[in-house]
Amino acid sequence: MLELNNQYTLMKRKIDTEVLKCFFDDTLVEQADRLPFEIIPKTRTPFRCCIYKERAMVRYRIMALAGINIERDDDEEKPLSEYISEVMEEDKPPLPLLTTIITGCSGCPKSQYRISDGCRGCFARPCMSNCPKDAIVFINGQAHIQEDRCIRCGKCMEVCPFHAVVHIPVPCEEACPVDAVTKNEQGFVEIEHDKCIGCGKCVRSCPFGAIVERSGLFPVLKMLKRGEKVVAMIAPAIEGQFPGTLEQLKAAIIKAGFQDVVEVAEGAETTAINEANELYKKISENEGFMTTSCCPSYMELVDIHIPYLKTRRSDALSPMGYTAKLVREKYPDCRSVFIGPCLAKKVEAAKRYRNDIDGVITFAELASIFVAKGIDVREMEAASLGDTSSFGDCREFAVSSGVAACVMRRFKEEGKSPRIMPINGLDKKTVRLMKTWEKRAPEADLVEVMACEGGCIAGPGTIVKPALALKLRNAAKTARPAAK
Amino acid sequence: MKKSKVKVRICLGTACFVQGGADLLLYNDFVDPAILAECEIEGCSCLDECKVGNGSAPYVSINDKVYSGVNQDMFCKLLAEAVKNA
Repeated sequence: MLELNNQYTLMKRKIDTEVLKCFFDDTLVEQADRLPFEIIPKTRTPFRCCIYKERAMVRYRIMALAGINIERDDDEEKPLSEYISEVMEEDKPPLPLLTTIITGCSGCPKSQYRISDGCRGCFARPCMSNCPKDAIVFINGQAHIQEDRCIRCGKCMEVCPFHAVVHIPVPCEEACPVDAVTKNEQGFVEIEHDKCIGCGKCVRSCPFGAIVERSGLFPVLKMLKRGEKVVAMIAPAIEGQFPGTLEQLKAAIIKAGFQDVVEVAEGAETTAINEANELYKKISENEGFMTTSCCPSYMELVDIHIPYLKTRRSDALSPMGYTAKLVREKYPDCRSVFIGPCLAKKVEAAKRYRNDIDGVITFAELASIFVAKGIDVREMEAASLGDTSSFGDCREFAVSSGVAACVMRRFKEEGKSPRIMPINGLDKKTVRLMKTWEKRAPEADLVEVMACEGGCIAGPGTIVKPALALKLRNAAKTARPAAK
Repeated sequence: MKKSKVKVRICLGTACFVQGGADLLLYNDFVDPAILAECEIEGCSCLDECKVGNGSAPYVSINDKVYSGVNQDMFCKLLAEAVKNA
């Protein structure tokens, strides 16, 4: 997966901010066709082949931000302004979550291992000895891989003392835990939407930006513009994503036009309590292991690929689900929007909470609202979060092993100590492992599954690197007085 | 004579923070400790440079001179230079 700090993320933030500035000035429809020229000026030294292609990609990026299904509705002759007016008139359906930009796809060659000039043709030849298919031959004192025999296991790479073997992957295919990303006949990227679990790993891994999420930002912006009352539900991972404190962040979100802010950690408490009770029952009745149910990508994984686990996952709703219900009760005349680090939450909201949740946006999108509106979180007057003592610890839901810890804190002990197993990040290997559980149960009572390695703080919609997010979160935790 | 430390301020305005300024806060991980020892680094409120319009976020001020579009690599070089000239 790409490091968060890269030119593509920076470009994306720039585009999002420029689009939102125009949106708030009410000039987006008129300005839309000019934006690619302003963002990629004539004087720019292009990173792609030329500035014209870069402008085309900016156009597609704006289309994705507006929620347009590029795969299906792309018409190169149609001006961007027309697309935008359409979106202003009517919201686009939220699914499918992802779409591809074939123009951007580099059509990477098939994943392969190659031996570079670094090969010294050593005497030990561990590559040859360890290759299970005898695919390595020596020609003129250097190792070569016979393509027709190679099964791409990577053993030669592991054992070469000179690091002379390189792996050239197809990043999107490699990143997809469920093999939903493939190539079409022309060799360009294609997503099998009925297999996709919405984890967003392919989006983050493509260095050409050829896979994008169809943003849900516009429907939310339109609600705010119409002056509707919208309650923001902020995911626990938000702490550490912005400068300033949570209290200041709440004030900033309200300044951006939201009616009120509710922490999803509040709903997470109900999730934790219910999962603790369920776990207790499962253990007392010897029913075997249980998995958590808060990660929407994992929920999709089970529904689509590992149906056996349906009986194993907890019946508790996700923190977002309980929080949405809380908001419905507390603010019956308000709309609710989930702000999180996650793309799969859009799928969850669309499939399970169609009537309870009116929109899902990411932290990065919230950041562009702040920047476009000139809101500085660190300069805000703190707004009270209310009494958070009972659910404050549930902010840990955002970090790997945090969910299990919250469940355990609410578990009635009575001499039972459940064994916990965290699945920290879904990839091809962990998916394979989980498929074997039907035949051979894991040695655990509670399995906590998070699709993103490190937890939600490493999600695809985040702003800062997980390491920094952790650092800021710990600093905030120590600064908070008398929190449990 | 004791050398005074190089004063480094990283802009923590929201615009700078989300456009790469946050990465600079991990300075312990990527700056040479010998250089860090000579510097006093802190985050600061918006330097208001973004409102002037020249340059791009994130902004960093080193001994009261402001630099724009600072990435990790540039940050290291700027600090090294400032320490050398101190």
